Amino acid sequence: MIDKPYVSTYQQSRQKRKIYTILLILLLTVIAFIISMNTGFIRLSPMELLETLLGMGTEKQNLTLFEFRLPRIVISVLVGIGLALSGCVLQGVSGNALADPGILGINAGAGLAVVLFISFFPTTSDVPVLFLPILAFVGAGVTAAVIYALAYKRGEGITPTRLLLTGIAIAAGISAAMIILTLRLTPDNYQFVAVWLAGSIWGSNWMFVLSVLPWLLILIPYVFIKARVLNTLNLGEVTATGLGVNIEKERLLLLAAAVALAGASVAVSGGIGFVGLIGPHLARQLVGGKHQFVIPASAAIGALLLLSADTIGRWLIEPSEIPAGIVVSVIGAPYFLYLLAKSKA
Amino acid sequence: MSSLAVEQVKVGYSNLMIIDDLSVEIPEKKITTIVGANGCGKSTLLKAIARILKTRKGTVYLDGRSIQLLPTKEIAKKMAILPQSSDTPPGLTVFELISYGRFPHQQGFGSLKMDDLKHINWAIEVTGLSEMRDRSVEALSGGQRQRVWIAMALAQDTDILILDEPTTYLDLAHQLEILFLLQKLNEEEGRTIVMVLHDLNHASRFSHNLIAMRNGAIVEEGTPEKVMTRSNLKAIFDIEATMSVCPHSANPIYLSYTLHKLSEHTLQKENKKSG
Repeated sequence: MIDKPYVSTYQQSRQKRKIYTILLILLLTVIAFIISMNTGFIRLSPMELLETLLGMGTEKQNLTLFEFRLPRIVISVLVGIGLALSGCVLQGVSGNALADPGILGINAGAGLAVVLFISFFPTTSDVPVLFLPILAFVGAGVTAAVIYALAYKRGEGITPTRLLLTGIAIAAGISAAMIILTLRLTPDNYQFVAVWLAGSIWGSNWMFVLSVLPWLLILIPYVFIKARVLNTLNLGEVTATGLGVNIEKERLLLLAAAVALAGASVAVSGGIGFVGLIGPHLARQLVGGKHQFVIPASAAIGALLLLSADTIGRWLIEPSEIPAGIVVSVIGAPYFLYLLAKSKA
Repeated sequence: MSSLAVEQVKVGYSNLMIIDDLSVEIPEKKITTIVGANGCGKSTLLKAIARILKTRKGTVYLDGRSIQLLPTKEIAKKMAILPQSSDTPPGLTVFELISYGRFPHQQGFGSLKMDDLKHINWAIEVTGLSEMRDRSVEALSGGQRQRVWIAMALAQDTDILILDEPTTYLDLAHQLEILFLLQKLNEEEGRTIVMVLHDLNHASRFSHNLIAMRNGAIVEEGTPEKVMTRSNLKAIFDIEATMSVCPHSANPIYLSYTLHKLSEHTLQKENKKSG
């Protein structure tokens, strides 16, 4: 046995570099946060912004910042974190770098719930739109549960490949059903559904912030604690079992966490894709394969990505706006193709 | 020390039972190798011992307790497994991957304690990976990578090592390197080693104990002298072997062999050649 346990200087500097990278992404997110507070139809100069934040703003400035802009920014950040972490967990559990919350039918399930709701209670009726996040969440959860049940095989449990294939099939089926349902909607309602599906941060008030926040507060620490388990799951089933991981139990719990994270996010943001795919992917490229680093880096990148997309979407065609989901897709689709072209298989 | 015993085990895959009723005891602090033809159930037996496959009937006992009832993490502190193949995740250094072997001993977020580092560094040292500890695992050759996986299993710090064909896909020299390493671990550390090997001569040379299987049952079990006989090889593999003695270990080996039941055509060909 070696008496002096040591970590090589290379390993130490590698570790430091990863931490600095994560801090840098967080810094960029803060900058995007500040720029985003400035962006919009009503201009707020940096000075005015500071005054308003310190409680010395005019009534109009207060309203713009605190009631419209800030909740929207906060939601972008939270949803970005939620989707990226969900993708990070899914990619870890499935061992497939192309897994994304959308693949578990989460976006489709949430969308179907929303379309069904709108078909029966048009937006013009008195039923509060606040029901939508809850419905979308339930829709996401039910769909994920159905996919899990269909992919489950007695004696073998759940295998990632079967889960992904079942997810893709179910999502395709739900999308078809949704198209049929939307054809029967009135133009107004159709418009609402279309915007929702495109993924605009539409629920921009503090109520919606409160509907996502608790989920993240519980699930983020949970995912962090499971970093070691995700590490071992990446080595293959037999190796993970040999290391003492109860694979079936951990997979089920982690999948549930991923569904809850994405479901809660999609509920307030609509069908935003690609953040869950790109976030963890970029994270792994930047900080390597250990989940102790991939998880925080994914979360930070997700927040930065969605906040930037929403800000760009608001600024590009003022005073109208492009849904953040579209902006992310415009960046995400080429990146996805690039990944496919680069992957060996 | 940890003991292993298999009692009246029935095991296989969802609708195909490979082993019906098998009992065997694995001697402590010895190298035991399971041999047999393709599909004879040797890997299945190894997987049952390693709790990868659940037994339908019967029990595998680790220190006298059923492995089905022990928490999997407790088992992982006593028994490490090296599967036929593992996935290599991208973006990991040799050191980082080997550190994953500490999983059963860690808590919470998983920062490495002094004790963890001690075992990781020892595993790196003993597998001769010191020079490569900071290299990316993806950049390593097959032989080097296999040593990294063995080092990970060693970092787990267990009395028992279970290896499924650890030398497959390696060239001759690298095969021996791995086997010498296992021999050293057994002799110097007293670790119990259970493995499946395809190469009979290697099995005979490096094992204290051989388990020869056919059709899910044990044909013969015991020292290489007892198992590696002409008649046993016929019974296990349907081959006619020419036997000799290994100059390195003094254990029996085969020099060459031919099939026991040759078809008319191949028989004629063989006769022509021999003259």
